Amino acid sequence: MTRPAPRVGSHRKKRAKRRLPMRYLLPSVLLVALLAMLMLRGYVHSEVLADHRVQPPAPTTQVPANVLEGGPVIDARSATEPAKTLRIPDHKIVLTFDDGPDPVWTPRVLDAMKKYDAHGVFFVTGTMASRHPGLVQRMVDEGHEIGLHTFNHPDLSYQSPKRIDWELSQNQLVLAGAAGIRTSLFRPPYSSFSAAMDNKSWPVTQYIGSRGYLTVVNNTDSEDWKRPGVRAIIERATPEGGQGAIILMHDSGGDRSQTVAALDTFLPAMEQRGYEFTHLTAALGASSAHTPATGFALLKGKAFVSAVGVSERITDVLVVGLAVIGVLVMARFGLMLLLSFLHARRVRGKGFSWGPPLARPVSVLVPAYNERECIAATVRSLVASDYPIEIIVIDDGSTDGTADIVRALRLPNVRVVRQHNAGKPAALNNGIAHARYDIVVMMDGDTVFEPSTVRELVQPFADSRVGAVAGNAKVGNRDSLIGAWQHIEYVMGFNLDRRMYDLLGCMPTIPGAVGAFRREALDRVGGMSDDTLAEDTDVTMALHRDGWRVVYAENARAWTEAPESVQQLWSQRYRWSYGTMQAIWKHRRAVIERGPSGRFGRVGLPFVSLFMVVAPLLAPLIDVFLLYGLVFGPTGKTVAAWFGVLVVQAVCAAYAFRLDRERMVHLISLPLQQILYRQLMYVVLLQSWITALTGGRLRWQKLRRTGVVGTPGAQRTGRAAAGRDRRPVA
Amino acid sequence: MTDPHQPYPQAAHPLPYQQAQRSRRLPNVPPAARPHRDEPAAKPGRDRYLDLLRAVALVRVVLFHLFGWAWLTVLFPSMGVMFALAGSLMARSLARPAATVVRDRLRRLLPPMWAFAAVVLPAMFALGWKPVREEGLWWFVRLGCYLLPAGSPPYPEESGSPGGFFEVSWAEQGVGPLWYIRAYLWFVIASPLLLKAFRKLPWVTMLAPTGLTAVLGTGLVTVPGATGEAVLDFAVFGSCWILGFAHHDGLLKQVPRYLVVSSAAIVMGFGLWWASGHLTDEGWNLDEIPLAQSTWSFGFCVILLVYAPSWRRLPGRFAGWDSLVTLANNRAVTVYLWHNLLLMASAYLVDQLWNVPWVGDNLGSYLESSYTVLTLLALWPLLGLAILAVGWVEDVAARRRPRLWPNGAGEDRQEPPQPPRTRSGGHARAR
Repeated sequence: MTRPAPRVGSHRKKRAKRRLPMRYLLPSVLLVALLAMLMLRGYVHSEVLADHRVQPPAPTTQVPANVLEGGPVIDARSATEPAKTLRIPDHKIVLTFDDGPDPVWTPRVLDAMKKYDAHGVFFVTGTMASRHPGLVQRMVDEGHEIGLHTFNHPDLSYQSPKRIDWELSQNQLVLAGAAGIRTSLFRPPYSSFSAAMDNKSWPVTQYIGSRGYLTVVNNTDSEDWKRPGVRAIIERATPEGGQGAIILMHDSGGDRSQTVAALDTFLPAMEQRGYEFTHLTAALGASSAHTPATGFALLKGKAFVSAVGVSERITDVLVVGLAVIGVLVMARFGLMLLLSFLHARRVRGKGFSWGPPLARPVSVLVPAYNERECIAATVRSLVASDYPIEIIVIDDGSTDGTADIVRALRLPNVRVVRQHNAGKPAALNNGIAHARYDIVVMMDGDTVFEPSTVRELVQPFADSRVGAVAGNAKVGNRDSLIGAWQHIEYVMGFNLDRRMYDLLGCMPTIPGAVGAFRREALDRVGGMSDDTLAEDTDVTMALHRDGWRVVYAENARAWTEAPESVQQLWSQRYRWSYGTMQAIWKHRRAVIERGPSGRFGRVGLPFVSLFMVVAPLLAPLIDVFLLYGLVFGPTGKTVAAWFGVLVVQAVCAAYAFRLDRERMVHLISLPLQQILYRQLMYVVLLQSWITALTGGRLRWQKLRRTGVVGTPGAQRTGRAAAGRDRRPVA
Repeated sequence: MTDPHQPYPQAAHPLPYQQAQRSRRLPNVPPAARPHRDEPAAKPGRDRYLDLLRAVALVRVVLFHLFGWAWLTVLFPSMGVMFALAGSLMARSLARPAATVVRDRLRRLLPPMWAFAAVVLPAMFALGWKPVREEGLWWFVRLGCYLLPAGSPPYPEESGSPGGFFEVSWAEQGVGPLWYIRAYLWFVIASPLLLKAFRKLPWVTMLAPTGLTAVLGTGLVTVPGATGEAVLDFAVFGSCWILGFAHHDGLLKQVPRYLVVSSAAIVMGFGLWWASGHLTDEGWNLDEIPLAQSTWSFGFCVILLVYAPSWRRLPGRFAGWDSLVTLANNRAVTVYLWHNLLLMASAYLVDQLWNVPWVGDNLGSYLESSYTVLTLLALWPLLGLAILAVGWVEDVAARRRPRLWPNGAGEDRQEPPQPPRTRSGGHARAR
């Protein structure tokens, strides 16, 4: 660097630079590799670059008369002499098979040829040969000749010289990879007899001759592709009066059983009549058309053919993956709908109660770090509560005078506890130590309660088995697009996921924005811990293992402000998903333990892991296939499938909205959410996976500092950091 | 436990969250209206975001006419954007008496067009256009469209001879784009009425043209001939034009953003779907698929305008383009009118490379493969020359001091000129 860098923050910048690539690089490399493989597959399946136009007949004024009337082998290689044609000598037949190799029919054709010791020429396309290289090798091994039939079978008269060169060289590349040879024989796609050459196809033939190839058309067309019956094929293939012939047949492109059956009759019959089935150069008495491929061309060919092999297999793997995720997603939706229906019916039933109504006072803890903008509204909303509470604001070393704002309100029942900045778990533990009552409600410094929230939230504690209660966090700023998306996510998360988890007894998280704990339960598990980035998930799992019930109180609503920028959302969700992974890992021993811990470990933990950590890993597949399907088809079916999934989601979302009596209008942003938001979420999860696998152990404190760097405007930063705890899903 | 069917507390008292919002947030002022930190809000300068959009749209038109890539019309629906921007400016101007505004607009639009006609018409006659013999006297009325383009100006299908200086379709390619001037003219004339209707029934007025496009585009009703073309153009881009009104009046800010953006995305999705089922031989060229063009452009413009950041100056990486953006905006009509002829001229220039000794023989295949790129390179200097030669007419028309090269260097920016579009797309390619 020639310029001295500013000192402040230069160190951080460097670190950020080093870390950034990891975040984007791995997922994007993975995605690009996947897409490249799919592209390759589409390419060798003629879904890319395929051109199915066929030139209509044209005048023949430019074609030399000797070609029009000549033999089926056209030699236009010489630049100085006019093109000449060659005929096959009498009593020799050159069988030619176009468009292969085909995995089903080519082996049978080869078997028949072998049986009667016949040889012929296979004009292979690059696409088919690259997918079935073993068959090309077998052709060569069994003494047949290979000719080029272009890479993906376009009518060359439509193509530029560049494309023609490319078709030939790609075809050679595949031959080199499959059998280690080059060939000098060529047959143009859609060709027939020499007499059919016209002003469109002749220049192509001349051009290809100038590249050193013999153009081989035919003079006896079996028309086997029309499947006219074995007898008709034989009849058309039989040359007149002992003449030599190049016979056109096909070993690919559909059902070729008639061709194979015809060969079984035709070969012995013609051999009896004194015919010899040879390959082309033998019939013409020339040296072999094959030359060994060497050096770089050979390596390139091998690399290409093996890449195609991988892509063929990878798509199979992907299809299985897609099926798995499809089944998982649908099963989850079904289970959620069923269980949330049962849950809602149960808790809304006439006779339902948790026990005698609770009326004893509780403590409300408000941990706050730089919440100047919202803390007053938060505390005022608590004071308006219709339930007896004491309010403890724990100021975690704020630098913006948060504590002073609360003091200045001079509200009764509100205490402020200050501490040096030590993180949220420490602040909560500090608050618990100061709390007077045996039930502790926890909320965020930027969350607003309704007057009835606390009362609704603590009622389940009438049941002495309940250790903790999750409330219902609502997104307040739902008018922006990103807000509306999170609103949908929250409503679904709280009304479907949480009801399901409640009934299954494996609620993974009490949201930090609105939750209540039995103090005795907290004491037994040792309070909040800073072992993970998600202390709320951590403590909830600990409660499960200690045998407490964790339930959901749907009417305990808390209004929160969701992140408004992609960057804030990203860091929030990164902490959630990485924290969840940490918590699952921390409590992994539950799987083998006895008692309630074991029950949670063997039912809840795998369930949560499956749907929160593993399934989203497969989610990108949906998009990869969507893209692939859109580009290479079947486009209609792909779009229909996508809409099908969308409809299922819309139904689930609509049911969740109904349960929460929300206005349905926000669901209009659901389609866009599926195109933009979902991808963001799984990229975040991928990033968490990468962090976990590369052994990064980011601490909450450290992360908060990074957040300061990332966000312009210090006031938003505190919010961004504190905004981590309104977890809609788990 | 309370009755779960108890409604939200909003009847008794507003949602506490909303209360809190009110207490701690800026009043609900659209971001565009908030004063900018770095510049005093008093100076009513140009919105550089809109200027940038107009410049991008113009460049997109030129690129499309050169390369003919159909997907460009999907990537950036230039014509819709231009009409939306023009509509917004029109709504702003209509604070003044309608008749004056319309007169001013026409006065500024027509002279550049006359300058164009003054070059093109003589050339067509010189190359043997004999319209009176073919069409009779009615043709004189149509020729009037070069003076006041109430209809599309006439031109010969073929002009000159094969192998001439330009290809024989030069007149079609050169004059074809004038449809935009016609459409713009009608929009300007209709604007006072449209604005009245819009202020009475905003959403109905805004969506009505798209509805009309659906009726015309599905073939339920067909209006024959040139009138039909004019009506269709009016319908296709009418929603964009009126969207400009909505942008100016702040209507989009009154609706929650998620609703606007999501609905726009759905409308655009419909456009794509419709296009996919009605592809022409030009593929995805939306210019040929009226309903798709109308819906895709409308949705696209909604999203562009709902996020309009209202820049006083181009930020960050765009800052370097400032003078070019200014030039493009000050000479938009000139660039639009002349670019197709200039494309043909630059193709002619590139053709001359083959006559250069050695180059033609040895680099022929390279020239062949980079033909369009070379044409593009040759185009910009020609456009520059055209701006120098005839651009000043725009200033005269606007009763400004004529300027040779108005790229904003050392002067205050004035009110913007008007924009263009691409219709005959693939045909209009220079080669």
